[in-house]
Amino acid sequence: MKRRNFLRILLGLLGTTTVVTFGYPLVKFLAPPEGESKTRKLVVKKSEIPLGESKGFTFNNTPVIVINRPDKGFIALSKVCTHLGCLVTYERGRKILLCPCHAGVYDIEGNVVSGPPPKPLQKFPVRVEGENVVIG
Amino acid sequence: MRYLFLSLLMVLSLPLGSLAGYREEFEREFLSKPWAGEQMEEDACIACHVAEKMDPKFRNIPQSWKMSIHYQHNVSCHHCHGGDPKDAEMSMSRERGFVGTPKYAEVPEFCGKCHVGILKNYLESGHGKALKSTGKGPNCVTCHGSHKDEQYIKKAHIDIINERLCSKCHSYERAKIMKQTLFLTEKKMGALDEGFSRLKAEGVYIEEEEKALFNIQAEFRTLFHTVDVSLVKERTDEFVKKLEPIEMKVKNTFHELRFRRNFSAFLMLLFAGMGIVVFVLSRPPRE
Amino acid sequence: MGVGRKIRDWFEVRIGLDDFANVQFREFRVPRNVNVFHTLGLVTVVAYMIQVITGILLLVYYVPHPDFAFKSVQEIMNTVSFGWLLRQMHVVGSSLMVIVVFLHMASVFFMGGYRKPREMTWAVGGLMFLITLVFCLSGYLLPWTQLSYWATTVVTSIPTAFPFIGDFISRVLRGGEYVTGITLGRFFALHVSILPLIFLFLMVLHIFFVKRTGLSTPPFGVSSGQQNPWTAYRRETHPDGYPFYPYFVRKEIFMGMLYLTVMFFFITFFPTLFLPEEANTPADPLRTPSQIRPEWYFLAPYQMLKLIPNKFIGITLQLILVAVFLLWPFLDTKKEPNILKRPVLKTVFFLALIILAVLTIWGNYR
Repeated sequence: MKRRNFLRILLGLLGTTTVVTFGYPLVKFLAPPEGESKTRKLVVKKSEIPLGESKGFTFNNTPVIVINRPDKGFIALSKVCTHLGCLVTYERGRKILLCPCHAGVYDIEGNVVSGPPPKPLQKFPVRVEGENVVIG
Repeated sequence: MRYLFLSLLMVLSLPLGSLAGYREEFEREFLSKPWAGEQMEEDACIACHVAEKMDPKFRNIPQSWKMSIHYQHNVSCHHCHGGDPKDAEMSMSRERGFVGTPKYAEVPEFCGKCHVGILKNYLESGHGKALKSTGKGPNCVTCHGSHKDEQYIKKAHIDIINERLCSKCHSYERAKIMKQTLFLTEKKMGALDEGFSRLKAEGVYIEEEEKALFNIQAEFRTLFHTVDVSLVKERTDEFVKKLEPIEMKVKNTFHELRFRRNFSAFLMLLFAGMGIVVFVLSRPPRE
Repeated sequence: MGVGRKIRDWFEVRIGLDDFANVQFREFRVPRNVNVFHTLGLVTVVAYMIQVITGILLLVYYVPHPDFAFKSVQEIMNTVSFGWLLRQMHVVGSSLMVIVVFLHMASVFFMGGYRKPREMTWAVGGLMFLITLVFCLSGYLLPWTQLSYWATTVVTSIPTAFPFIGDFISRVLRGGEYVTGITLGRFFALHVSILPLIFLFLMVLHIFFVKRTGLSTPPFGVSSGQQNPWTAYRRETHPDGYPFYPYFVRKEIFMGMLYLTVMFFFITFFPTLFLPEEANTPADPLRTPSQIRPEWYFLAPYQMLKLIPNKFIGITLQLILVAVFLLWPFLDTKKEPNILKRPVLKTVFFLALIILAVLTIWGNYR
């Protein structure tokens, strides 16, 4: 019966390996991702962005523009155009964001006014805390 | 009797297909109903320009346009020329913004309605200044073509800079230097494009990276339109640096795909092994 | 040794574990001429359990809203650790489960296991097959890709062939005129809670019938005279058969391992077989892809519908076929249990399989 015992032990080994090979991914699957869930917050001084002006930053690897709107306060929008990915520029005079690649036009809420973009610009949550503007 | 009936039913239903028009009927009934979403738009421009009555030199335009990159991105006649594509009577009306064929010197503004960034750089360049001051010089169509004379606008690529085209007004030397300056960056961007296609074929969705690459490509090529070699040289490093994170991501993704394949192969072998062992164990033991 | 024995004794005193294990596993016997096809029922259960477990785990990260569905699936594939493994298992598993269910039904049919007294077992099993197909249909929409959206659009328009109620049925399925987030919501509810409960209930019923009536003996090699007429209830036992454990259990484990090997074979070497380019593009209601095709298990009925010029006749025909399939044990009245001795039925059976294969391949390349 030596062969049968050997086979039984082999089966046990293979079975255990399989359980571990599934167990490890299962644990990692359910575990929260390290660090990435911590959305880093971007803190900007209010004084850095005068009324009607804007400033560009990088937030979570995305280029972001923060505009100090004359009537509605701060807004943080992704600069990535939703058409093909070029970065929009803020035209203060016309109060629009213009994409230089195919003339996609957004208003200062990020909504599409004209041109090829299919969706509005991604918006990021903004809070004003005292002297600071907190994005994210 | 019952299964005889059943089998007759199945066998007889096939010849019914020989009745002509089944395919069209199905497509008509299933696919072209309004819920299908896509509306077949009535385009008045195309309708006239493909008609028999049309002058041959205008009749080829829709065909040329259909080969172009504009067509691939749903840019149609009225987007550039204005007019109303839904109403044949107003399709060429000034009231609806129709501008007709632009004059040679007005071509940059015509294309610049959409290609805003490039227009800006072009007007500041030697080419743009030449055109505006003397009326002679290259406009967009000179290098990129149009739907005239059976040409069509292709996707931009570095070989648009070539001796035949660029020695019309001056020696090819300057253009050659420009091409060399652009070469490395363009090559890297081409490699990334190819990497993206391969990744897509393997089922990975990389929209963010594609957008980032498009932005870098667009910025780089817009910069070229200044035809200022020193400026391009100065900023080439900047662009190469911007490409690096994307290259890294693509490399890592291929690495990850290899890992996945190895991991599942390992699991497959484990199961196969266990199956074999169980099979051998299950044979009746020799008494 | 010591510890194992102690644990078993603890259970033995409370629930009579030894007795239970003996009756269920060692004394329970299978017919001598049982073959691997008999294990397919259990393989189906294994396949279903894999779908349930991977499905529940995917549920942890999936978001059933049209604005987030596609992205959440991409995140599962690319960001979440080993999310790809679970998704691939779920996708490949769904197609493999359809195959296994089909093989199980075909082999039961071939061996006459649907005959009296097992008509209810067959009918319940047939219902489970249909539920499996609805599972596949509803699950297909969830990733909200071009393929999902348009295949669902085509399939939910099929009921429109019926006069009067057709449009209504179609609108109920879609939750509106078109496939939208409302459709996603109801397909999600179906896929994740309603169908699993129904399937589970049917499965319990099915297994109860199987155990209560006893395993059927394959009719091959047994002359028809030996079959006693079924007039009163009795559980069919096989006193001269092999013990369930270890004989049959080992066969079942082998088939289970085979199933998993095949699944991982596909995941390793053909990871994009069930995920073509359109399955990796987000749904765009304004752009119909050039080739809309349902998933492979629907290709045969799809092709059949395309061949029959009148939509209404086509769908009615298919419904009739489904009814015949579910009620077959009640329609089959011949006494002979061995299909090999019934040339007409044998021919019909193989002809049906061939037609199905031809229609499927045709539907794929048309």
